[in-house]
Amino acid sequence: MSSFIDYTVNGLVIGNIYALLAVGLALIFGVANLINFAHGSVYTLGAYIGWAAIVFLHTPLPVTMLIVFIGCALVGIVIERIGLRPLQGKARIAPLLATIGISFVLDQLVQLAFSPDPRAVPNDLPDWRLTIGGGSIGAMDLLIAGVGLVSAALLYIFLRFTKLGSAVRATAQDREAALQMGVNVNAVNSAVFAIASALGGVSGLLVGMYYNHIDPAMSFQATLKGVVAQVIGGVGNVPGAIVGSLLLGLVESYGIALLGTTYRNLFAFVLLIIFLLWLPNGLFGGRSTIQTEPLVGSFIAPSRPLRLPRWSVWAATLAAFALPFATSAPYLLQTLTNAWLAALLALSLTLIAGTAGQISFGQAALMAIGGYASALLAVDLGAPPVLSVPAAGLTAAALGTLLVFPAFRLRGHYIAIATLAIGEIVSLVILNWESLTRGAMGITGIPPLSLFGRDLDSNRAIYWLCLAIVVALGLLQTRLLSSHLGRTLRAVREDEIAARCYGVRLDRYKALAFAFGAFGAGLSGAITAHLYSYLNNQTFDSQLSLLALTMVILGGMGNVLGAIAGAILLVGLPELFRIAAEYRILIYGVVLLALIRFRPQGLLGAV
Amino acid sequence: MAPLLEMRGLTRRFGGVTAVKTLDLVVEEGELVSLIGPNGAGKTTAFNMISGLDQPNEGEIVFAGRPIHRLAPEAIAALGLARTFQHGRVFANLSVEDNVLLGAHTRLRAVRPRAPLLDGVFELALALIRPPAVEREEAALKAEVREILRLFGDRLISRVHDAAYTLSYANRRRIEIARALALRPRLLLLDEPTAGMNPTETAEMQALIAGLKAQGMTILLIEHKLEMVMNLSNRIYVLDDGVKIAEGSPEGVRNDPAVVEAYLGHSEVGRGARSLEAITS
Amino acid sequence: MSLISMLKLKGLAKPAMVAIGVAAIGVTSALAQAASGDPVTIGVSGPLTGQNAQYGAQWKKGFDLALEEVNGRGGVQGRPLQYVFEDSQADPRQTVAIAQKFVSDPKIVVEVGDFSSTASMAASSIYQRAGLVQFGFTNSHPNFTKGGDFIWSNSVSQADEQPRLAKYAADLGFKHLAVLYLNTDWGRASQNIFSEAAKADAMEIVASEGYQPDEKDFRSTLVRVRDAKPDAIILISYYADGALITRQIRSVGLTTPIVASGSIYSPKFIELAGDAGNGVFTESNFFPGDNRPEVQNFVAKFRAKYNEEPDDFNAVAYDTIILLAAVIDKYGVDRTAIRDGLAQIKDVPSVIYGKATFDPQTRRVAGARAVYLVVKNGAFTLWDGKKPSAS
Repeated sequence: MSSFIDYTVNGLVIGNIYALLAVGLALIFGVANLINFAHGSVYTLGAYIGWAAIVFLHTPLPVTMLIVFIGCALVGIVIERIGLRPLQGKARIAPLLATIGISFVLDQLVQLAFSPDPRAVPNDLPDWRLTIGGGSIGAMDLLIAGVGLVSAALLYIFLRFTKLGSAVRATAQDREAALQMGVNVNAVNSAVFAIASALGGVSGLLVGMYYNHIDPAMSFQATLKGVVAQVIGGVGNVPGAIVGSLLLGLVESYGIALLGTTYRNLFAFVLLIIFLLWLPNGLFGGRSTIQTEPLVGSFIAPSRPLRLPRWSVWAATLAAFALPFATSAPYLLQTLTNAWLAALLALSLTLIAGTAGQISFGQAALMAIGGYASALLAVDLGAPPVLSVPAAGLTAAALGTLLVFPAFRLRGHYIAIATLAIGEIVSLVILNWESLTRGAMGITGIPPLSLFGRDLDSNRAIYWLCLAIVVALGLLQTRLLSSHLGRTLRAVREDEIAARCYGVRLDRYKALAFAFGAFGAGLSGAITAHLYSYLNNQTFDSQLSLLALTMVILGGMGNVLGAIAGAILLVGLPELFRIAAEYRILIYGVVLLALIRFRPQGLLGAV
Repeated sequence: MAPLLEMRGLTRRFGGVTAVKTLDLVVEEGELVSLIGPNGAGKTTAFNMISGLDQPNEGEIVFAGRPIHRLAPEAIAALGLARTFQHGRVFANLSVEDNVLLGAHTRLRAVRPRAPLLDGVFELALALIRPPAVEREEAALKAEVREILRLFGDRLISRVHDAAYTLSYANRRRIEIARALALRPRLLLLDEPTAGMNPTETAEMQALIAGLKAQGMTILLIEHKLEMVMNLSNRIYVLDDGVKIAEGSPEGVRNDPAVVEAYLGHSEVGRGARSLEAITS
Repeated sequence: MSLISMLKLKGLAKPAMVAIGVAAIGVTSALAQAASGDPVTIGVSGPLTGQNAQYGAQWKKGFDLALEEVNGRGGVQGRPLQYVFEDSQADPRQTVAIAQKFVSDPKIVVEVGDFSSTASMAASSIYQRAGLVQFGFTNSHPNFTKGGDFIWSNSVSQADEQPRLAKYAADLGFKHLAVLYLNTDWGRASQNIFSEAAKADAMEIVASEGYQPDEKDFRSTLVRVRDAKPDAIILISYYADGALITRQIRSVGLTTPIVASGSIYSPKFIELAGDAGNGVFTESNFFPGDNRPEVQNFVAKFRAKYNEEPDDFNAVAYDTIILLAAVIDKYGVDRTAIRDGLAQIKDVPSVIYGKATFDPQTRRVAGARAVYLVVKNGAFTLWDGKKPSAS
């Protein structure tokens, strides 16, 4: 029994920490209707600003917190002004991706400035601890709780009772109307980002002190947990964010109690999925009533796709096939082979997200399913790759669609969150289902690709195989797009309500899109497994999902040639940038931001 | 003969508000019935319930002898009911042609086989392989779409491959109607088809609808432009605050004091009026 | 009459010969002191950015120090030795591309890296096929060197390391162990080996908790651990996560002794763990307090150059360059000759091993020396042999 109390206390303690993050995220979510992926980066930045203040200026804690508060507020204003305001009125996916680009840039800047090594953060809080059950809480726990509660309370009062607060809420409800009413919407957005970022920064400092550990890679997990807490509490709901955080902490804690540490995140993400499916408005979001008709029904930027003349496309394809005859530079062939494999992933996502409008952040999971399926068939059952690879594609199609199916009822950024969570769940299941997947140790000795009994071990052969698969899939996908089915998928993307009223069963078509896309992603994963001869749960990670989305945006959503072009550019360019190795991710983030800002329909236009 | 559409005791509540209260409504085959009333009267709510986007709390809706009030919109569309939307909902990034072709989705047979469980796989396969039957169906459909577009003169045909968002508002509403016609509906629901249109465009639309009616189409129309309503309708239902306050022929409704009162009470305070026209012209 | 015969007549031939000989040697060694000519290039594949970037930075420090020394005494076969570092982010996709680059660049005579076994093993087949030695000096996965006869490593295999850790726990008198391990390929493999060895040493594993690399909060984990009633907590961790756990163990009030695997050995562990680090037992293949001349030499030079204490990663990186320099110097710059040289070379001075010799079967070095350590007053010190009293 006493252990139960300990687990409960611990759950509340960690929930307390999540709450600090979630409150800032909730504020931005509520007003800008945006998952701010850069929030975790501001959190990290705040921790480092605080560290610098303590180490170089020897400031006492309250002063440090003030410095961090102001510094991060300024950063928030800059982010909003430069990164997000120019995107007003553009496709809704734009600000989401912009925050991802910003997070790359910020994280890299921090790493360049401070080196990737974790640092300790000295704190001058008194050392006493209060024993509760078998555990204890200390001064820092109370400080964090205090800051969390006070900021939530202040925010609540601010939003409810002040003029600027009302303006914030009005803008959140209806930006256009607020504008009409004379609300200075720009000032409101700035204020919101400033406050939220300030909170984020302070939470970074406090958490860094709590664990005596800060490093530039803290951002992603922080954002993820914050998002989960928010969904539970009700997106955009500030008090809800606190309750959601505490609940998340408790569930994680009990999960550990039940099954062990390695299941912690699994519990968190399954909880997220449960809420997304059954309580999408969270605990405090209220029940949604009839959906009012939106004024316009489109999610992606209206644009004209660039029509490349047929002959040029065929010429380029022939040139690609002929390349290994012209040069046998293995480095070039390897880079392009990687690009072809990435292109398969991009093709799959451009169909799912571009054509059918289902923004998926979990494509890497489909590759993982394909990779493991083929590896296990080959290693455990002795199946030749010529059988196991297509079988893996089909497995990814079936299993992937099944997993994501419950999320079809979700819209817009909820689909993004759900697919992200499902992707993480797949990764965690792979990690923990050791009897099947060998867990973290991974599967070694995966046989190389072979065709008709002969191993394909030359760079050329592998290059041609991958290129051939890309071309075949690209042709199939193009054919699909020009069929009635393609038309139907695009209708699903454009306007679900109108589509339904004309007989289009949404679940079925979303499933078809996912299945077709997942097949391609699964093939990519399977081939990769055979090429690397080794894979484990880290081989296909969430970074890959984000890379996939970026390739698709770069090329133009739904655009088959664009997806392939995006893959070549985003897998080829980093190799070119090898010269500026340490600045590569920074440049990449900036390029992403520039794209979003100036050409969101991508290079070849959305289709 | 049984009416094509019948609503009995239809009620819809949202929290404390009753949007539609025990509505009885009948549409006979070949009729054009209008649904009018001040804003917020519950007209679009009724449409949403007929088309399956919403479910009534009480009451039932019967279409061609079948109860449809618990069916999903896709199923209702397959039964031959097409609708347009109050603010216009075309598929913005799809071409005019594609928009209208989608309207025929429920009628497709070659490319959308009916088979248990595996029909999705078949549909995918047919989309990729495209046997002659599929090609023929598509060609026939495209020809039909041209026919439908010709109803609108030159406006849509000349832009048939342009994305819908590039067309004017009025044209987009026309596309909506063309799409609805492509479904070959037994019942056509039009939700304020002339909203936001100038008098010339309104007159054109009125002529178009009259033409459809002349060809035997059964239409249920929501409109604010009372002249049009009077000219087109066989019968009119008047709603106010979710309640049917009058029904009957255009002449009957025009002079019904309750109706005048309803409109008077919602606008034009202080101006004496004895008929609807006086207020709304 | 020749000069020689003239000198012989004068009885000066012998001393003259010696003088000329000495002069000649003097001149040539003066020439050899400055390594000159085309540099010999080592290709390094490792993380300069990304999650593991700090380890790449540690490598560079070790490499640079070793190169200074090597080139200071004439380089390899008279030529300067250098490395080119390609950022792989320890990502298998990139290690594969880098591998292609290296194998097709004739200037690269041997490859070093990558950081994680996963990343390295993805590229092994490329190195093997092309006949370029892949020297994964931090890859301790048991299957790493099985990739082929061009795949070598001087990293201490977990097969050697973990039994030693188990033995330390046994020597400390512990019987019931709770194991916390990093749930990666390295950590999992290590934990497996540790558990086997612990059981062989008649100890019982009462709890076994795997955690993710980005895990920060261990409080609930520690409740599970506490409830299993261990008399020691074993950490199979790197220094950052090891420090996190150690601090939390103490801050939740657990006084159970902690025995951590040598992978936490780093000054950063002390810095991050703070006071909680005191009393932690660990062992290391590298310890600056070790009196061996190779170790002292290295530590002194590292301190002089970088003004900080070296850690394990610096030491193995340094060792690797010294080792490869010795092989190249003796056997030449041909790629296959280098492979053969690795199999043949004996007793290369090594900070980790004292004298390093490879086992041609496993392509690893056996006999890593380790010392038992304990943290006292914020510093690693040699264990004095005293068993901790029952807590």
